[in-house]
Amino acid sequence: MIPLELYILLASTMFTIGLYGLFTQKNGVKLMMCIELLLNSANINLVAFSAYQPNVNGQVFALFSIALAAAEAGVGFAILIALYRLYGTIDLDNINAMRW
Amino acid sequence: MYADYAYLIVALPVLAFLLCLFVGWHLPRGGGFLTVLATFAGLILSLGIFSEIYPNEIIHQSMPWFANFNVGILIDPLALVMLLMVTFVVTLIHTYANGYMNGDPGAARYFAEAALFTASMLGLIYADNLLQLFIFWELVGLCSYLLIGFWYRKPSAAAAAKKAFLTTRVGDVLFLAGIILLYNNLASLNLTLAPGEYLLQFPVIYAHVAQIPADQLTLIALGLLGGAVGKSGQFPLHVWLPDAMEGPTTVSAMIHAATMVTAGVYLVARMFPLFYAAPYGLTAVAAVGAFTALFAATMGLTAFDIKRVLAFSTVSQLGFMMAGLGVGAAVGTFAVGVSIFHLIGHSFFKALLFLGAGSVIHAVNTNDMREMGGVGKYMKWTMYTMLIGSLSLAGFPLFTGFFSKDEIIVIAYEYGVMINFLPYIMLVLAAVLTAIYTFRMWFSVFTGKERSDYGKHESPMIMIGPLVILAVFAFGFGFAAQEDFYSYLDSNFEHYDVDFAQLGIIGGHVLEGHAAPEGAALEEEQGAPEVAESGHGAAGEGEEGGEGEAGEPWYIQILPIIVAIGGILLAGLFYFDKIKKFDPSQVTGDKDPIRKLLLKGYYQHEILTGWFAETVVYGTALICNMIDIKLVDGWLNWLSAWVLGFAQHIRKVQTGVVQNYVTALVLGVVVLVVVITLAMEVGLV
Repeated sequence: MIPLELYILLASTMFTIGLYGLFTQKNGVKLMMCIELLLNSANINLVAFSAYQPNVNGQVFALFSIALAAAEAGVGFAILIALYRLYGTIDLDNINAMRW
Repeated sequence: MYADYAYLIVALPVLAFLLCLFVGWHLPRGGGFLTVLATFAGLILSLGIFSEIYPNEIIHQSMPWFANFNVGILIDPLALVMLLMVTFVVTLIHTYANGYMNGDPGAARYFAEAALFTASMLGLIYADNLLQLFIFWELVGLCSYLLIGFWYRKPSAAAAAKKAFLTTRVGDVLFLAGIILLYNNLASLNLTLAPGEYLLQFPVIYAHVAQIPADQLTLIALGLLGGAVGKSGQFPLHVWLPDAMEGPTTVSAMIHAATMVTAGVYLVARMFPLFYAAPYGLTAVAAVGAFTALFAATMGLTAFDIKRVLAFSTVSQLGFMMAGLGVGAAVGTFAVGVSIFHLIGHSFFKALLFLGAGSVIHAVNTNDMREMGGVGKYMKWTMYTMLIGSLSLAGFPLFTGFFSKDEIIVIAYEYGVMINFLPYIMLVLAAVLTAIYTFRMWFSVFTGKERSDYGKHESPMIMIGPLVILAVFAFGFGFAAQEDFYSYLDSNFEHYDVDFAQLGIIGGHVLEGHAAPEGAALEEEQGAPEVAESGHGAAGEGEEGGEGEAGEPWYIQILPIIVAIGGILLAGLFYFDKIKKFDPSQVTGDKDPIRKLLLKGYYQHEILTGWFAETVVYGTALICNMIDIKLVDGWLNWLSAWVLGFAQHIRKVQTGVVQNYVTALVLGVVVLVVVITLAMEVGLV
């Protein structure tokens, strides 16, 4: 059986990549993808711990999380499309009409 | 059977009010007939109730309202005679108004407001508790504001309405303070009330007045007197009444002569046991009333506006009624009968005089008596009906005013014997002046040469009819009803659990005939030398039983008659061209300081408006305004400015750059993790 540490290593690697993307990227679609990485790293942890400690709660929770991520992606991309139609760009540095 | 429908006396005028208000302009004459019918139905109901309960029953209906209060109807002799008078006089005035207001574009509004006024006045009369009375009292005030300002496009009318509203408000605040004090005092007695009894109900008040501390009673009485002073135009809150003549003449007749202004007198009569028990309560009432009677009568002497003469006369006669109640300190509940009798009689002849004046104004088209003269040639009906009214007001023998006013003067004499002669002297002087100014008015309007080119025609029959009916009552009522009236009203408080002997001891009065030892001795000393003639003429005296038997010398009985006839003759010598001996302008020129003082109304306008309102009140208002702006608004504005300034600085945090938010988020999580870890290390968590 694959040791638990490997799953945690995989999850934290994914989480770090996602976080790095959030810090560095300015493209809205890329940011959405980074957020997906963050969410899925958490899902991996949930499923892994659930398998090692015989209890299905974590897996059920992961399913909820996936559904939530799908909804979030739907809303997020809808907003991005609206922004693109309005400004002709999805570079978020240029979209700052509501700051201050 | 009629008693079951007593609520309709108020409900029907309210219905007429709603109908006139919403559909009045579709109806002929603004729906005035609805108002007349509603009031007339009230008259029929009142007569029915009278026939059922006269002479020794009362009606008391009540239902719970909220908490410790109820709504109810209380018809005792006092309320019943008032109900009859108001419905009767107001029915006639509404009928007259159908002619007077014909063609006025606001007729529907007039009749709506008049109906609401009628409803509130009637509700005030038969309210069974003080709170309900106060509510209707305020409604009456509102209607008076609306009706005085009926021609609201006229600046003077709008100003008069505002003045009336504000002046009576001063009294109303005192009245409310009195009610609250009374309620607190009654509540602190921890009474065990039977089901259906409430603290502010009149029977409950009457029954427990004696248990309230005397100093509190005086405060309460002064508060209630304040309300009565405001509503009944007594000094110093009388200033609104002469100005209130800006409304249509029917309004003057209805509100400022016959009904509304009597509400104050009615209140004092209604709360008579309380006033009686309060030390100085009735003394204050007598002082205010007698002074007002004289004060207003002097101003009536010089006014040129026919309606202002009548207005001053109303103030003066209300003073008589107040004084009549006040001297109850000497004669007990008999004073209520005497005073209310004058109230009823006065409402007949004053309504008659106002409506007659309205008839004259309707034809002549001016209020100024200097432009009239000789009107009698063209308006026979108006002239003779007004003559009856004037004779009655002046107190000419056998007319209504003679019986009622003279009885007040006689009991004022008894008060003089026992306590203080000042009210008596003032009232006698006021009676002389009453006769003079009344006939100055009558002579200079109806006799003599025509002093200007005015409209010469008699008024329509719908206006003359009420005049004739009122004239019959102004003549015959006093003669016909006096004895029964006194005995009926004297029985008013017998229906309640109230012990006047005990109240008198609290209030420091001692009634003759009551078993108070030191009082009897006092009476022996003071009363005995005065008894010259015990078989005096005033008819009501016989009804008094043990009270007021001191008797008056014959000249006290005769004096009012001499005063009335003398006054009329004196007025005739100045103003009646057939017997004219003196020219008023020779006796008093324009420079005469006394004449100027009276004409200016004792400079009340200058003092009250010019000095008091514009200096004291305006100055106080300015200071309050400054405190409001600098202090109350000030700290609030400072706070909000500070919050705004702070926000200006920290709003920069919202950069709109996603990376900054992410950074803040991650940093926050890191800090949180570090803190929690450290806390666990230390053992805090």
